[in-house]
Amino acid sequence: MKFEFVSDFDIRISNFMVGIVSYGTYIPRYRIRIADVAAAWKKDEEEVSKSLGLTDKSVPGFDEDAATIAVEAALGSLKTFQGDPTDIDVMFVGSESHPYAVNPTSTIVGELLGLGHSYLAADFEFACKAGTAAMQAIAGLVAAGHARYGMAIGTDTAQGKPHDFLEYTAAAGGAAFIIGRDEPQSSQLSSDRRKVDHLSSPVIAKLLADTSYSSDTPDFWRRDGMRYPSHAGRFTGEPAYYSHVTGAARRLMEMTNTKASDYDYCIFHMPNGKFPREVAKRLGFTPDQLAPSLLVDDIGNAYSATTILALGAVLDIAKPSQKIFMVSYGSGAGSDAFVWETTEELVSARGGPASGRKSKQTVRDQIANKTYIDYVQFLKQTHKL
Amino acid sequence: MQSPVKIWRNQKNIASLVGKTGTILSWTIVRVPPGDFTDQAPYPVVLVALEGGKNVTCQLVDYDEKHLTFGQKVITIIRRVMHPDPDGVIPYGIKVKPA
Amino acid sequence: MHIYVTGAATTQFGELWGVSPRSLARGSVLSALKDADTEPKTVQALFVGNMLSGMLGGQEHLGAFFAEELGFSVPAFKVEGACASGGLAMHNAVNSLLSGQYETVVVLGIEKMTDHKPEDVATALMGAGSEEERSAGATFPGLYAILARIHMREFGTTEEQMAAVAVKNHYHASLNPNAQFHNILTVEQVMRSSRVADPLKLLDCSPISDGAAAVVLTTRKMKRSIEIASSVVATDTLGLAQRKSLTELAATRMASDKAYKIAGVQAADIDVAEVHDCFTIAQILAMEDLGFCKKGESAKKIHTVINPSGGLKGCGHPVGATGVKQVVELVEHLRGTAGKRQVKGAKVGLAHNVGGSGATAVIHILKK
Repeated sequence: MKFEFVSDFDIRISNFMVGIVSYGTYIPRYRIRIADVAAAWKKDEEEVSKSLGLTDKSVPGFDEDAATIAVEAALGSLKTFQGDPTDIDVMFVGSESHPYAVNPTSTIVGELLGLGHSYLAADFEFACKAGTAAMQAIAGLVAAGHARYGMAIGTDTAQGKPHDFLEYTAAAGGAAFIIGRDEPQSSQLSSDRRKVDHLSSPVIAKLLADTSYSSDTPDFWRRDGMRYPSHAGRFTGEPAYYSHVTGAARRLMEMTNTKASDYDYCIFHMPNGKFPREVAKRLGFTPDQLAPSLLVDDIGNAYSATTILALGAVLDIAKPSQKIFMVSYGSGAGSDAFVWETTEELVSARGGPASGRKSKQTVRDQIANKTYIDYVQFLKQTHKL
Repeated sequence: MQSPVKIWRNQKNIASLVGKTGTILSWTIVRVPPGDFTDQAPYPVVLVALEGGKNVTCQLVDYDEKHLTFGQKVITIIRRVMHPDPDGVIPYGIKVKPA
Repeated sequence: MHIYVTGAATTQFGELWGVSPRSLARGSVLSALKDADTEPKTVQALFVGNMLSGMLGGQEHLGAFFAEELGFSVPAFKVEGACASGGLAMHNAVNSLLSGQYETVVVLGIEKMTDHKPEDVATALMGAGSEEERSAGATFPGLYAILARIHMREFGTTEEQMAAVAVKNHYHASLNPNAQFHNILTVEQVMRSSRVADPLKLLDCSPISDGAAAVVLTTRKMKRSIEIASSVVATDTLGLAQRKSLTELAATRMASDKAYKIAGVQAADIDVAEVHDCFTIAQILAMEDLGFCKKGESAKKIHTVINPSGGLKGCGHPVGATGVKQVVELVEHLRGTAGKRQVKGAKVGLAHNVGGSGATAVIHILKK
């Protein structure tokens, strides 16, 4: 099957490939059962679970925030990164729960990772697609030769107002992706203008194509100074999630002249258990293509981390030369869509003794590493008490 | 409020201690906390022997009862060390969790 | 040259809501001067031992503060070393006499703690530990609990044995009119008291107290003088994480080894000792590190009577006052004026004052 490029972005039609070289994920260990949240508000537990399509959600420790979670995910990505932290020329962190309204999460993470001082840092915000927007931006910088490697992080400790339906799904997690390219390169950002003679960290998943679909659609928002977000109820469905996800997806398929059956896996943003299953169906994907990415059932919606945690889960099990179709969604609204193709290098990038690299936990390991807490403990840990 | 300058000066120390393994030398569970830690109590404070020879005193998090034992393997992580003032700088520092 | 304690007095120790620091100072110093039969105008310097005046009360510069209050226009110093502030003030006063600079000085140990919330006091007391310990949310009970747990594992020390220390000290305190507590305790009561920092419980811990103690030191032997045979200070690391040993307070051992040598005595010669029982485990460690018994054998009977005042646990622990109060107590026994708690035939006494979790140790050995 031949991939044809019809791209708005000529810069990517070249003789090298931009892609993921390494990734790390983190899910806090605490879980609360959706049924227990429902019980606290005297709702029908089964009805709530069924209508939302999930069982548990992850809860951050009382001392965790989007920055500490980002650090965990980032350290994971450094475990299988073949370069030096100082080779990372860009650090973009996307979240809707940045610890500060003004003060970059990206440099808190960069400092603790030992990136040095010669890197571009910025924080991204766009509801649940802040992480994927960061990925697209870094792909562009790397493709342009403006950066050797860049790290895109999506991280959140999402909060839902008590008794609001978002309380059932707002969760916590983080994923970090180091993006590079498979050609010798030097970076304009590198202060010593050192030429790297060989690629130290090879691409494990090529970025074959990407696009983005944006509009002004007020389905979910939080005003400055307000503690919890607000949303427009059922308006968050068709005019928001579905139209943007399918809009970006269809455009990407057009650009690449592909259809659902051309792919091995698909990933869609998961605000609940129902939406990703429904949109996959509409776009012609099968439940088998979707299943490895459906983390929402077990951990809920970790907002900026959701889509890319799922990408991590798929990369944990994919074989070389497999294609992944990924579409994020951020309220407000927009969708970023990507086509990834795994390479031979993916296998050793998973780490472990055979690869000669440090071991790291898979997403499924992290999902399984859990401790249940009750509703009162949940309120304490999320600082509502 | 913690001094932002002190927090900044301390960053190198913290960065150099992340991701290190160690074993528990001793522990206590603080049930009557100092003022800045009232929302966290009760919590375990542990004395850890880190690989490489240094010892540190810090909190143990993400643990089960069975992990409070002599020789338990732990790993250092970054967490908020205390609940910051609403208008203060957030102090991040080293804690440990079972490895 | 010899250094003598010629006058010694303490105030009541306890929750003294209506008593100000100025009153505490006047009460103890004027009593000590009267006891020494010494005119205030012969006092040539004032050493004040105190830890928390700045952190809790916003008042530093205590040398000047109390010199003014007491009507002494003399060189005046605040000396601080956490809970060893009193002992360190004593040591500095002794040195000032040995230097030949002065002949008669007053040492005042004083602390006012009950004006503030217990959480604020606990936070301020952690000023005696390391930054790392404060960031960990450690408290002083927590640090000693960490030591206790190691001691229990290494030597088989039990929580009941620690509780017995509190019981004995309360019994002694019941015989001391100035003590904070006069109630008799049982081991079960201590064991049932609420946990503060596992395994230490409320009744394993010394209280928050107000109080002051003062002594008059001179180079001239007078009637009823008691000689200071040695005054030694040793320093160890601030935080537990930096210690070489976690089964002893090395500063106690080092200071006492030297103090015994200088005084020409051995541990077995000490008839009465006031040791630093900020927590019950601290008294057990003290008995071992001072050489009164071997490691793990503090439950055995020994010659030395420990903490007849009630110790920090029974008598109270106004932090800066303790080191000076310990000397006052020894003076009473060596003069034979300790009333119901008199250690019969006491000739040699030892005061052991510790700062923090063992970063500073001060030993004074007194002879009749």
